Amino acid sequence: MTAVLKIESASKSFDAPEGGKIHALKDVSLTIAHNEFLTLLGPSGCGKTTMLRAVSGFEDLDAGEIYIEGEAMGSRPAHKRPVNTVFQRYALFPHLSVARNVSYSLEVAGVDKAEIRKRVGDMLDMVGLTAFGERRIGQLSGGQQQRVALARSLVARPKVLLLDEPLSALDKNLRHKMQEELKGLQHELGITFIFVTHDQEEALVMSDRIAVLEGGKIQQLDAPEALYRYPKNEFVARFIGESNLLPGKVVATSGEACDVQLSDDTVLQGCRRGDLAEGTNVKVLIRPESVVAALSEGTSGQAISGTISESYFIGTDYQLVVRRDGLPPFRATVRAHTDASRFAAGEPIDLFVPHDGVHLIAAEGAAA
Amino acid sequence: MTARFASLKARRALTLYGLLLTPTVFLAFFFLGPLSIMMVYTFLTPGLYGGVEWVFSHLNYGRILGWADTRYDQFDPVYISIFLRSVRLAATTVLTCLVICYPFAFWVARQPERWKNFFIFLITLPFFISLIVRLFAWVLILRPTGFLNQALLGMGVVAQPLDIIFTDMAVVIGMTYVFIPFMFLPLYSSIEKLDGSLIEASQDLGASPLQTFLRVVLPMTLPGIVGGSIIVFIPSLGNFIVPSLLGGARVVMIGNLIEQQFLSARNWPFGAALGMMVMAAVLLLLMIYVRILSREDKQAETQQPKEEETR
Repeated sequence: MTAVLKIESASKSFDAPEGGKIHALKDVSLTIAHNEFLTLLGPSGCGKTTMLRAVSGFEDLDAGEIYIEGEAMGSRPAHKRPVNTVFQRYALFPHLSVARNVSYSLEVAGVDKAEIRKRVGDMLDMVGLTAFGERRIGQLSGGQQQRVALARSLVARPKVLLLDEPLSALDKNLRHKMQEELKGLQHELGITFIFVTHDQEEALVMSDRIAVLEGGKIQQLDAPEALYRYPKNEFVARFIGESNLLPGKVVATSGEACDVQLSDDTVLQGCRRGDLAEGTNVKVLIRPESVVAALSEGTSGQAISGTISESYFIGTDYQLVVRRDGLPPFRATVRAHTDASRFAAGEPIDLFVPHDGVHLIAAEGAAA
Repeated sequence: MTARFASLKARRALTLYGLLLTPTVFLAFFFLGPLSIMMVYTFLTPGLYGGVEWVFSHLNYGRILGWADTRYDQFDPVYISIFLRSVRLAATTVLTCLVICYPFAFWVARQPERWKNFFIFLITLPFFISLIVRLFAWVLILRPTGFLNQALLGMGVVAQPLDIIFTDMAVVIGMTYVFIPFMFLPLYSSIEKLDGSLIEASQDLGASPLQTFLRVVLPMTLPGIVGGSIIVFIPSLGNFIVPSLLGGARVVMIGNLIEQQFLSARNWPFGAALGMMVMAAVLLLLMIYVRILSREDKQAETQQPKEEETR
């Protein structure tokens, strides 16, 4: 895997309107491989859009460098960079037809007419807008405009396609469909996609790797599943998925396994990742859906016992809030097909946690 | 049920007619009436001391366009040449206004909200002072011993005072000055609406700044350019105050000619015919404009938006 895009210790700050500086990027480094689907995920203001704009050439970095296929971009203007962008609100040209929107980058590059016609035709076929070439932008629905924006930025075969929250304006069903289509297109074309979003579900579905950004720094860069199962810090754990973060302390280690004592003295066995020595204060991450309310025959498990304080039926599952003295309220999602009366508020319950459902995160402030 | 709807409909119609009545009557009385009188006058014979004789004549148009009453005078193309000069000066004024206002409108559109309003206020500020006073100020600036020449001589840019006042240039300067707000406001309204992300999209797709300007900025601001140009061209073409103050006797525009026919030459029918010619030119221009606009609208409406198609 060769790197198509390399960002080296990029920093960028803006003047805040109320005085002082906002550090949008703090010494960020990132290497992206050919044909990779990488997502920049983070809450608004985390620096993800700044990063995208720095790559596309609309923001100059204060420090650091961006390389595209080994070539330093420096302060090269946007129109000379081999990247194209799908903008958040599409930014389609309202005075041009669909076909002319798509052909724009080829026209300005001086590609000859027959070639343009062929490539625009192919591109419109690919996004399923074959018959729409002569339409005006204002006559298209949101999803169709989205596809025109995609076709327009892909027709020149950029090295990297940047997508700035392109699905945020679509309704939920359409968004799911476009997610699949995007992933399919990326696979088909073999172009590196950098996708910006604040929607974690979207990121998990589509990405090869996800970079979680917060405060101008990459908090964690990992494949979606690793990110979900083994977040490196509390921010990532809370930002992605539902989470129970229980304060605890490592009491015993043996190889891969370790015992952790929760604040109510319950001891759970979990897997050790990284070097968490005995006596380290940790946060214990248990996802609500990784617990079960009943053990099947012949298995044993470690239990957290408590009382149900809230219970919501959501179709396939019950969502429970379980309270136990000494622990913060614990959320659990359990299958609904078992005896429903057990999940009424006020009932006592044992929640079983498998070993691989217990992930330890070094508590903030403690040595990582 | 139907009766209620009907009465509601009737009431709406009544309200509409009521509202339309006043402007209709006003326009009929004070615009169409005088215009008809003018139109009729163009086919009459001039009275000896002003006014008209009720005798049909086609010579008023003939004198302008090429047939003359050979008993008294020869056909003189001077009127056509004055008309063409007026068109030329008005067009130059439009261009000058455009060149000045276009970049300025861009600059203002990028200012913070408070400053935008301030600049728009500045643009309209000259309207608070009498036009005559402002034009006389220009006489003082442009005359051989005026401010401009003193400054240029003082800096050693020129050896002789420039001969500006009472030339075509003085008239263009004056009209540009008077009509700049009329160019600025429509231009500004279309430039301010221009979406900055379209410019970024164009650059992102590989267009150089010049290509971006020609392919995106210019077409998107065209309505403002055309609108402003028309609004400046029409009053420039018929203007007579600016040429009479800054053009003197040397620069006569069609407006001055019309004024002379009514006030000093006492040839009302001929003045009316000249007026009709100006109006015909303006109408032609407006028709072309409307034609262009409606063609664009038609293009936009040829196909109805469809629901999201399924693939």
